[in-house]
Amino acid sequence: MDDINLIEFFLSDFINPKKRVFTGYLILSVVLASLWLLFVKRQSLQSTFKKIFDRKILWSGSAKADYKLFLLNRVFTFFISPLLISQVAISTAIYMFLHSVDGFNQNFFASTPTSIIIALFTITLFVVDDFTKYVVHRWMHKIPLLWAIHKVHHSAKTMTPITVYRVHPLEGVLFSLRSVFAQGLVIPSFLFFFGNAVDLYTIVGVNILVFFFHATGSNLRHSHIDIAYWKWLEHILISPSQHQVHHSIAEEHYDKNFGAALAIWDWVFGSLHLSENKGTVFFGLDTYESGKESRIKDLYLEPIYEIAKILKTFCIKLVSRLLNWLSLIRDLFLVQINKKNHNDFNK
Amino acid sequence: MIMKKLKVTTAIVAVALSGTMALSDGYGPFPVTLKGYSGDKTNTVSYSGQIARHVLEQSLKKLAGKGNGGGNAADLEAQMLSYFNGSDDDLPIIAPKSKDGFKIKQTSLHQISKGKNISGKFYDGAMPAWPGNMSGKDVAYNMIAMAAKSNKGFDADTGYDWAQLISKYTMGAMAYNQAVDNYLDEKLSAEKKPNNKPYKDGAHYTGKEHSWDEAFGYWGAAAHQHGFNPNKVYEIAKMKNQGVADKNGDGMVDLKSEYVFGPCYYAAAFDRSGTKSTNYTNTMFDAFLDGRKLITAAAGDALSDSERSQLKAYAATIEENWEKVLAEAVFKYAGSVYKDINKMKELSGDDLNKAYRAYAKHWGELKGFAMAMQSGKSNLGATATKMNELMGFGPVTLNNSYVTGMDSNGNFVMDRKKSWSDYQLHMLKIQQMMVDQFSVKARVNDGLNDLQALTDKLDSASSAETD
Repeated sequence: MDDINLIEFFLSDFINPKKRVFTGYLILSVVLASLWLLFVKRQSLQSTFKKIFDRKILWSGSAKADYKLFLLNRVFTFFISPLLISQVAISTAIYMFLHSVDGFNQNFFASTPTSIIIALFTITLFVVDDFTKYVVHRWMHKIPLLWAIHKVHHSAKTMTPITVYRVHPLEGVLFSLRSVFAQGLVIPSFLFFFGNAVDLYTIVGVNILVFFFHATGSNLRHSHIDIAYWKWLEHILISPSQHQVHHSIAEEHYDKNFGAALAIWDWVFGSLHLSENKGTVFFGLDTYESGKESRIKDLYLEPIYEIAKILKTFCIKLVSRLLNWLSLIRDLFLVQINKKNHNDFNK
Repeated sequence: MIMKKLKVTTAIVAVALSGTMALSDGYGPFPVTLKGYSGDKTNTVSYSGQIARHVLEQSLKKLAGKGNGGGNAADLEAQMLSYFNGSDDDLPIIAPKSKDGFKIKQTSLHQISKGKNISGKFYDGAMPAWPGNMSGKDVAYNMIAMAAKSNKGFDADTGYDWAQLISKYTMGAMAYNQAVDNYLDEKLSAEKKPNNKPYKDGAHYTGKEHSWDEAFGYWGAAAHQHGFNPNKVYEIAKMKNQGVADKNGDGMVDLKSEYVFGPCYYAAAFDRSGTKSTNYTNTMFDAFLDGRKLITAAAGDALSDSERSQLKAYAATIEENWEKVLAEAVFKYAGSVYKDINKMKELSGDDLNKAYRAYAKHWGELKGFAMAMQSGKSNLGATATKMNELMGFGPVTLNNSYVTGMDSNGNFVMDRKKSWSDYQLHMLKIQQMMVDQFSVKARVNDGLNDLQALTDKLDSASSAETD
C-alpha cells in the first residue's frame, strides 16, 4: 500500500456522503451549531467560536482516545468484514423463501406507480433500519454481556463527531450484522412484491432521508452543542440534546433515548426523555476508574475480561445447578430403593 | 530528419505486418510432419468429419419441427434417423442453408464428408435427467420418435420442444463428449495415437495432430476467427456477415473452415452478453491453437512427457471453459424460464398460449444444455442429481402438472402438480448452483441481479454506525 492509498484507507469516510463524518455534513454541523449559539443562546461570535472549537474538548484524553480508536478500528474492520455473512446471501435466501410461501404472489403490487414504489421503498428502508438500530441499541444496554462491550462508547467524557467511532470492534460487528439483516429483509421483499421498479430516492448517492438526518446535524449528537427541538418534535425525532441525555452520567438519564433518528420508538416503548434546560450534562460512566477512558489497551481488553467474567459466573451457576439436580435425582432414587427394601422386608 | 522518417515508416510497416500476421494466424494450415511421408499433401489439418456431424445435428433440428401431428410420423422418423444414423446416400443439407447475403458453399453432406453419422459418436452412458432409465443414445432415439409424432416439434401437453431438446442435447452428447472424453482425454495418452505414427494407415497426419484437430472440429469454430471480437463470431453463426466469414473471398462461406457451429457459437454468445466479463471464445481458441503448434513443433517425433503434460494443460483449459459455457447456458435459460413464468402469470387466452410456447422453447434449451453437461467426461455427482431434481423431467405446464416419469409403454406420466412460483424458486436455485459450482460469470438473465444491484447501491457498511 503506498502513501496515498494508506491515507485514503484511513480517511475515506470524510469524503463519502454515505458516512456521518463526511466533510460536507461536518461543515453543515458547524453552521447549525453557530446559528444555535448565536441566535437561540444569544452568545457572542467569539464565545460561539470558542464553544464549537473548544480545545479542552477536541484534545481531551477521551477525544484523543476516540481518534486512535477511529484509526485502529479501521484496521479491525478491514480484516473482520469479509468474514461476516454477506447481505446478498441473506437477500437471496429471503427472496427464495418468498417464492415458496403459498399465497404470496410475486409482483402483486407491481402495477403501483413507480414514484410511489420508490417512495415506499425509501421510507421503509429508513424506518426498518432505524427501528433495528433502536432494538439493538436497547439490547446493548439491557443485556450485561452486550453492555460490557457498549460501555466503551459510553466511557467518553467529552464528545466530538468522531465519538461515533468510539466502539469496541465487537460492537462494530453486531451493528454491521444488524444492517445486513435489516436491508437483507427489505430489499428482497420489495423486489418480490413490487418488481424491478424498486429503487431509492437519493441525494449524492445517499438515501434522501439518511441525507437529511446527516445534513441537519447528526454529528452534533456527539458534541457539547445541546441543540434541542420543540417538545412535540422530540417525540418524533431525537434531537442532539436528547442523545446527549443518553450519554449523561446522571442516574435519572440511564437507559433513555436509545433511538437513532426517530424518537417514536422510545416514545412507544417508554424510554423517551425530552431534553431539559438544566445546565451542563456530564458524560461518561461513574463506574469507570478515572483515566481509563483514555487508555486504548483498557478500552479494547476490558470488555473481553468482563465478558469472560460474566460467562464464568454463568458457567459456575449452571454447573452448580446441574449438580443440585443430580443430587436431587440421586436422593429420589435412594428413597425409592429404601422404600422397596422396606416393603420387601415387611413381606 | 530522413532517419526519423525512416523510423516512422518502419514502425508503421511493422505494425501493419504484425496486424496482418495476427489476423492470418488461424487454425491451420499446418505442414506435414509425419516422418517418411512421401505424398503431395502439404496441410495436415483435417476435421471435415466433425463439420459433417455439426451439419447433421443442425439438419436434424430443422426436421424435428416438421411433424404434422402424426400423419407423417413414420416418414419423418425415418428421415430423421437417416441424419442421426447416417446414410449411404448423399443427404441434402437442410441447415445451414444459403440465404440472401450469406451464400454457403456446400448443399449436400458428401460435399463435406462421406459416411458420417451422429449415432456412432453419441454419449451412451446413463442419462438420469430423462425419464425411463435409458442410456444416452436411447434417449436421443426416444426424442426423435416423439418429435416425428408431434405437431411442428411441440407437444403442448408435456411442454416438450423437441427441436430444442434434440439440438442442445446433441451439442453435448456428441460434440462435447467426443472432444473432452475422447480426443482431449484418452487420445492424449502416450500409448494411443502417438505422434510418431500416422493417425491410421495411409494418413498424412500423425496420431496426435489428427486427434487434436478432431477435438477442434467438434468445438465448431471458424479456422480464421483467431482474436475475433465475439460479436463477429456471433455474426458468422447467425449468418449475418458474409464478409467476416468468407476468409478466402470466393464469395461463399465454406462450412468446412469458415463457418461457426453450436458449441463455439455459445461461447461467443456469452462473451458478448450478460456481464460481458468473460473471454471463453478466445481462451479456447488460443488453447486449441497453442496445442496444435506444440504438436507441429514436435516434428513427427513422439511427444515427450513434458510436451504431453503441456498439451494436457491446454486440453484442461478447453474442457474447463467448455463446461462453463454449458453452465452459462443452463444459467441463462433457467433465467428465461423464470421470466417467462412471470409473463404467463399476467396473460390469458391466445396471449398465454403464445407465451407458453416461448416458455417451452426456453425450457427445451435449458433441459438440453443440462443434459449436455451430464454427457461430458466428469461425473457431476450430487450437482447433477440436484439439478435434475430442481428442473424435473418436464416443465410445469399450463395446468400445473409436469412429467414425472415414463410408463412401461413409453408414455409420459404426469401425475403431480407444482405451482409456478415453486418452479420459479427452482430456477433461481439452479442459477445459484451454476454460480456456486461452476463460477459462471456472464450470468445472462440473472434472476438475482436486481438484489445485487440494490445491495451495491445501498452499501450496507454505511449503516454500521452506532450511537
